[in-house]
Amino acid sequence: MSNNIFIIARQSFRMAYSNKATFAFAVLLSFSLVLATFVGWKNYKVQNEQRLQYKKEVRKQWLANPDKHPHRMAHYGYLAFREKHELSFFDFGIESFAGVSIFLEAHKQNSVNFSEASFSNGMLRFGELSVAMVLQILFPLLIIFVGYNCISAERESGTLKILLCQNTTWKDLLWGKTFGLLALSLSIFIPFIILTIILWGILSEWQLSGDSVVRLLLLIGGYIIYFFVISVITALVSALSSGSRPALTTLLASWIFFIVIMPRVTQSVGNQIYPSPSKIPFLANIAEDVSKEGDSHNPDDPHYAKIKDSLLKKYNVDDVKKLPFNYGGFIMAEGEKITSNIYSRHQKNLNKTFENQNSITKLASFLNPYLALKEVSMILTASDYSTYTDFQNQAEQYRYGLAQKMNQLQIEHISNEKPAEHEKPHIISQNNWASQQDFEYHFTKISEAVSKNSTAFSALFFWLVVSIFAIQFSVKRIKTI
Amino acid sequence: MRQNLFLFELKIFFRNTSSITAIVILLLAGFVGLYFGKTFIERQENVVQKAINLQKENTGNNYEHFGEDTGLFFYHNKFSVANTATKWAAFSNGQRDINPYLISVTMLGLEGQIYDTDIANPSSLLMGNIDLGFVFIFLFPLVIIALSYNILSSQQENGVWILLRSQTSKPHLIIWNKLLVRVLVIFATAFVLMTAALFYLNLELDLIFFSIFGLILLYLTFWFAAVFFVISFGKTSNFNASSLIGLWVGLAIVVPASLNLYLSAKYPVPEALKNVMEQRQGYHEKWDLPKNVTMEPFYKHYPQLKQYPFDEQKTFSWFWYYGMQQMGDDQALESRKAMEHKLENRQQFASVVALFFPTIQTQLSVNSLAGSDLKSHLDFQNFVRDYHEKVRLHFYPVIFQEQKVSLAEVEKFGLKHYKNPVSPLKLESVISLVLLSLILLIVGNLNFRRLFK
Repeated sequence: MSNNIFIIARQSFRMAYSNKATFAFAVLLSFSLVLATFVGWKNYKVQNEQRLQYKKEVRKQWLANPDKHPHRMAHYGYLAFREKHELSFFDFGIESFAGVSIFLEAHKQNSVNFSEASFSNGMLRFGELSVAMVLQILFPLLIIFVGYNCISAERESGTLKILLCQNTTWKDLLWGKTFGLLALSLSIFIPFIILTIILWGILSEWQLSGDSVVRLLLLIGGYIIYFFVISVITALVSALSSGSRPALTTLLASWIFFIVIMPRVTQSVGNQIYPSPSKIPFLANIAEDVSKEGDSHNPDDPHYAKIKDSLLKKYNVDDVKKLPFNYGGFIMAEGEKITSNIYSRHQKNLNKTFENQNSITKLASFLNPYLALKEVSMILTASDYSTYTDFQNQAEQYRYGLAQKMNQLQIEHISNEKPAEHEKPHIISQNNWASQQDFEYHFTKISEAVSKNSTAFSALFFWLVVSIFAIQFSVKRIKTI
Repeated sequence: MRQNLFLFELKIFFRNTSSITAIVILLLAGFVGLYFGKTFIERQENVVQKAINLQKENTGNNYEHFGEDTGLFFYHNKFSVANTATKWAAFSNGQRDINPYLISVTMLGLEGQIYDTDIANPSSLLMGNIDLGFVFIFLFPLVIIALSYNILSSQQENGVWILLRSQTSKPHLIIWNKLLVRVLVIFATAFVLMTAALFYLNLELDLIFFSIFGLILLYLTFWFAAVFFVISFGKTSNFNASSLIGLWVGLAIVVPASLNLYLSAKYPVPEALKNVMEQRQGYHEKWDLPKNVTMEPFYKHYPQLKQYPFDEQKTFSWFWYYGMQQMGDDQALESRKAMEHKLENRQQFASVVALFFPTIQTQLSVNSLAGSDLKSHLDFQNFVRDYHEKVRLHFYPVIFQEQKVSLAEVEKFGLKHYKNPVSPLKLESVISLVLLSLILLIVGNLNFRRLFK
């Protein structure tokens, strides 16, 4: 960095803080950051602890079930609660709009219920105060308010000509002003991040996982790129505008357009182009496919009749009751396999539709740095859409495993003779229940999360490159007077 | 003189292309909002229409498969209830994307079914919908700010103000006229959009129309009052623009977002998770307990069902089964009530803070008048509860006497439509908006007097 750039950067940084309004705004932002961290962390703690407490209770109740028929256990099922990632205190992402609890039982895929949004009467629609929100939405405003006249004011007061005569090039000036603005955001951001890391360390008793540390480092890098991009845009608009007032108007209008209006529009357009089905027709389509494949409830169904015949032939018996294993369990295992395959196929298509809906917004992040960073931030704090579908997938896998395990127990341990109307039902020992492991949600590894969502990361990188190029090559178009 | 001045200002206003652009943007955004809002509701209505036939079809299929075993038939058969959108829901979609508008339940335990959500893309829920309500609440204030932040300061900055002051004894009349022109233009734009909504959404010219229109005009007046207040300090254009945008960011983003954070910390809803656990346990554990553990409380709940014969010796009977299901609901009753209480607390909190923040006030009031808020969803849930109870009590005797049910009897219970009764606009919403605007106008006027002395 040439000496000139450094001098200009230092000068404009000092100037900014000498302004009382800037100082007040900076203090206000720091205060909101600390508040957001504190309350965000507390919310994370409280909600996660609740979920973990109920998770423990679910396990305890599962194991405490007395001897019974395994199929009863399959219907007793399991409750899974979506855990929050420890970094989700930083960025709430879709957390509040995604459900928390899901009931996992045989034959049936239930919805994830009880999102925070379902408890809200609409105020949530204005947003939630989080660290990410302050950094993404309010920091650009600070940069704009401080930087809109960083060059136009020099031009208006006539100092610009003097500066450019004194061995300072336009490039130096632009870089210097950009770094000055960047330094302003970092002067709040860096102490805050250090504070956050210390707080995080203390609260988790320095049990930081390597994965989370990498996530946080990338997050810091991402936000610095974002502040840099906004600083470049601000400096350039100030240089290119005819005066301070049009510069401010342009910057504020862009802020409103890119941060308030565009995200809603792109998402609405996505929903419009790729409409997603509603639950009732969605389930009806699945039911239709299931009945095409074979209906285990229907004794005359050809698919199951074929299985029955081949089994009778293989074991050389004339009645399913004489088979050496539980026939009912075998048929249910087959049914579970078919239905969950069909369900997964439909769910996959549905997820594809949702991804298509989101793709418009993702593409728009090449036009809008805010959208690029927003997505990156959600991915890194595991509060994004793909983490949510990952939870759904893991829960469904667990559900399938549980149902099949119970079917297997039935096949192996339950007699083929149905008890008469007044006889005791067949049961197996409760010792079997422990063999079904507890549901543990595993967050995606950061390397995988990055490669799965490469578009978002490339969009942010794109903005970094574009900003650098913009300063290097805009010089020709800027007028000094 | 006064009238001439007004016409003159009007002319100046329309000579400025950026003012015209701003109005055109508002109109366009308004039409886009109308379109998106309407298609959103239309899609829901289509689903409801389809669901009517689907329920009929499913009932037919279930009857074919399980008709011989009435208990089993009702184990499978679903009854749907639709929360019919008011026409205004297209104006303000509210919470209709988050809360299910169609609930299908079997005769089994209700607590395990009533909270099931519809399929939704959480990313879309996060970004929110675009509807005309959004345009009025978020974008109109921004345009008001853009059009009026410099009506005094720009005159001061280009030196015209000194000339004007020397030529007139009432310089504030000029400012008033400029502001009045903008009020009229913005109100006219709002009028155009409301008229468009009236026809496009097939609204009626009723009390709700005038309530919502009035509320919006009051809301816009508040923003004009805020602009008036800020410019009355006689500061520079840049100062005015920055503080007004700051005010907008505060009222439309930071304050509601902070309150949300506070709200969810102060009123967490662990009762929801508790409810799921209790409902499941309350039902399932009964399988392993003596039958009277189920039947005694069940008879207590429904003394009229005691008349039907119950064979305790039978390993399994539907009588017992439906009794066990009821136990799940009964056991979860306490946490359900606790959850309802929490939600009431939350709504109460929101309606109190709304008194101080016009953005929240207007959004919540419009949602409420449009029947797309949380309260209408909770009312809908209660309606589903009542309907479910009605279906249960109608068919319990058939099941418990192990009789065959006729298809025609079941088909009488087709998809049920729920229509939310609309509660009128609350007086305190109006008072809060009027008071806040008045305070700003009065203080602003005092400032002006000082400025023009």
